[in-house]
Amino acid sequence: MFVRPDNWKELSPMERRKVRLDNWQNAPVEFMSPEAEANYKERIGRLRKIYDMEPHDRPIADGFMGANEYVVRRKGMNGKDMVYNHEKLREPLLEFHNEFQPDTAVSPLPYPGKVMDLLNYQTYIWGGQKLPDELTIQAVEGEYMMADEYRVFAADPTDFWLKKYIPRVMPALGPLAMLTEFPRVSENVDLIDMILPFGLPPFQAMLQTLMEAGNELMKMLGAVGQTGAMIAASGFPSMGFNIVKTPFDYLGDTLRGTKGILTDMYRRPNDLLAACEAYVPVLINAVVNASDRNGAPAALYVLHKGADSFMSQAQFEKFYWPTWKQVMLALYEEGITSYLFIEGSYNKRLQNLAEMPEKSLVCHFDQTEMGPVKEILSDKQIIAGNVPASLMATGTTDEVRAYCGNLMDLFGDAPGYIMAHGCYFENTTDDKMRAFIESVKR
Amino acid sequence: MSQELIDAITDMREDDVLRITNELLDGGASPLDILNACKAAMEVIGQRFETGEAFIPELILAGEMMTAVSDILKPRMAEAAASDKLGKIVLGTVEGDIHDIAKDIVVFMLDLNGFEVTDLGVDVPAAKFVEAVQETGATIVGLSGFLTLAYDPMKETVAALRENGLNVKIMIGGGQIDEQIRDYTGADAYGRDAMAAVALAKEWVKES
Repeated sequence: MFVRPDNWKELSPMERRKVRLDNWQNAPVEFMSPEAEANYKERIGRLRKIYDMEPHDRPIADGFMGANEYVVRRKGMNGKDMVYNHEKLREPLLEFHNEFQPDTAVSPLPYPGKVMDLLNYQTYIWGGQKLPDELTIQAVEGEYMMADEYRVFAADPTDFWLKKYIPRVMPALGPLAMLTEFPRVSENVDLIDMILPFGLPPFQAMLQTLMEAGNELMKMLGAVGQTGAMIAASGFPSMGFNIVKTPFDYLGDTLRGTKGILTDMYRRPNDLLAACEAYVPVLINAVVNASDRNGAPAALYVLHKGADSFMSQAQFEKFYWPTWKQVMLALYEEGITSYLFIEGSYNKRLQNLAEMPEKSLVCHFDQTEMGPVKEILSDKQIIAGNVPASLMATGTTDEVRAYCGNLMDLFGDAPGYIMAHGCYFENTTDDKMRAFIESVKR
Repeated sequence: MSQELIDAITDMREDDVLRITNELLDGGASPLDILNACKAAMEVIGQRFETGEAFIPELILAGEMMTAVSDILKPRMAEAAASDKLGKIVLGTVEGDIHDIAKDIVVFMLDLNGFEVTDLGVDVPAAKFVEAVQETGATIVGLSGFLTLAYDPMKETVAALRENGLNVKIMIGGGQIDEQIRDYTGADAYGRDAMAAVALAKEWVKES
């Protein structure tokens, strides 16, 4: 929970950022020992200095976006365990942190398997459901908004999401389509339309399912929360994020699918642009509200279809960048840092990122060439990445050491650098993880 | 060959492509001539892709335009059907991985460039690749995988093809595939994109 100070309106974006980061850094933790407390404070202090681009003793190595499955797979956990058996992950996670003493907490994403089952969730398949137990989770692309629905979406994205998108991807919530349009509920008789669905058996059955899903979610959050608290108590901080996408990626990944969105750039460019614009205020509102609720000082963008190979620079600057930039600038004004997980490569987009205000971004690269990144961005923004997943999975320990060593040569003296993986991987070896973690301590 | 049709395709004017195709047919043009114009246009788009002037949207849209044109031509295609193929290729996304978009683009570009492609789809077990090569007599195999979990199934598929004594060249590709993974899997080459796959396949059939 983040409570804005009384003078919030008078604060500059950088002052607001400081207040949010202070709130995160000083969040109460019940430590297991004085030693754990000292370690936690040293680690979070170093991470904070990196975010502030202030002098500090060394970069950190953060395995969160790469090793998040390995940390439990190394002890025999499989994909199904990560989706359904959250209690079972605790011991391996605590062991990993104890043994490796990483700079930050690393754990799998909290996939709510039982909730996904109850809702009959369509946009993923997962271990223990349609995938073999060994595998974790994979996206299933679909066309969940038809080409002729752009205008309906742009008129009211929230209404579209509630009454069309959710019923399509979570059939158990199909009765949500019965709901009225809420902004027209103003006179007493309007309550009839508003409440009517709640009296109908299919809607009531859906409410029962939702309550059941809510109960399952609370169980899962209890387990995950306890594990997270124990990792923090042992001395390992984590950055607080709210996950978000760009307007184009919500429309592409989630609603239209890759083929749909990329051909829409030719077939209905104006509809696509209008839908991206309509998304901007919705996203700003959503991220600011979430950051206030949970105190996370950063928004984590998982970036997909703006990568070099997906579209030309002209298409990027017409369809992808402008509305995304609007969202990031608005979050910057609210003191929220945008953490960009840039999948694929962004060799052609670095000048666009350079347009953003100083310290507004953490740019986490996958396959982008890091030389130009150093030159163009590293004085203004925090940089992270780009240890290849392929190297972690199949290279030798010496190769990992050499790759990380080169990154240290390049970024060791940068104002803010985080050693990190370019993409997540299922498996590596303890020796390679150690080489990654130790690489920043030279 | 209709330059008007070639220009409409390379300019991504989808509606014009269909209109011109119908007009050409009504005017007595042969389906083979129209197909040749399509191939010429696709060569231009392929070159633009290689030089960084065209990207995935153009490949996908071109693919859809080609499908639409061939749907129009199909009823009159008897004369055009027997064109010689450069070689046979078996291609699919390896076991455990369900991603198809990049694989579909590669299949389309190989097909367009004169190869007979057997598309095995997604989540394809090693044994199915072996079986398909035995059945078709393909000399090239393409393994696609978007996720890092594809590394081991790719390695197993390469091993299965070799163990069965199949004399095939194997290429791999996908989001997290690089030279490191080519070496790990024992494949003959990896390609960054669909045009790289075409270039590799052409080189390999020339060698054989």
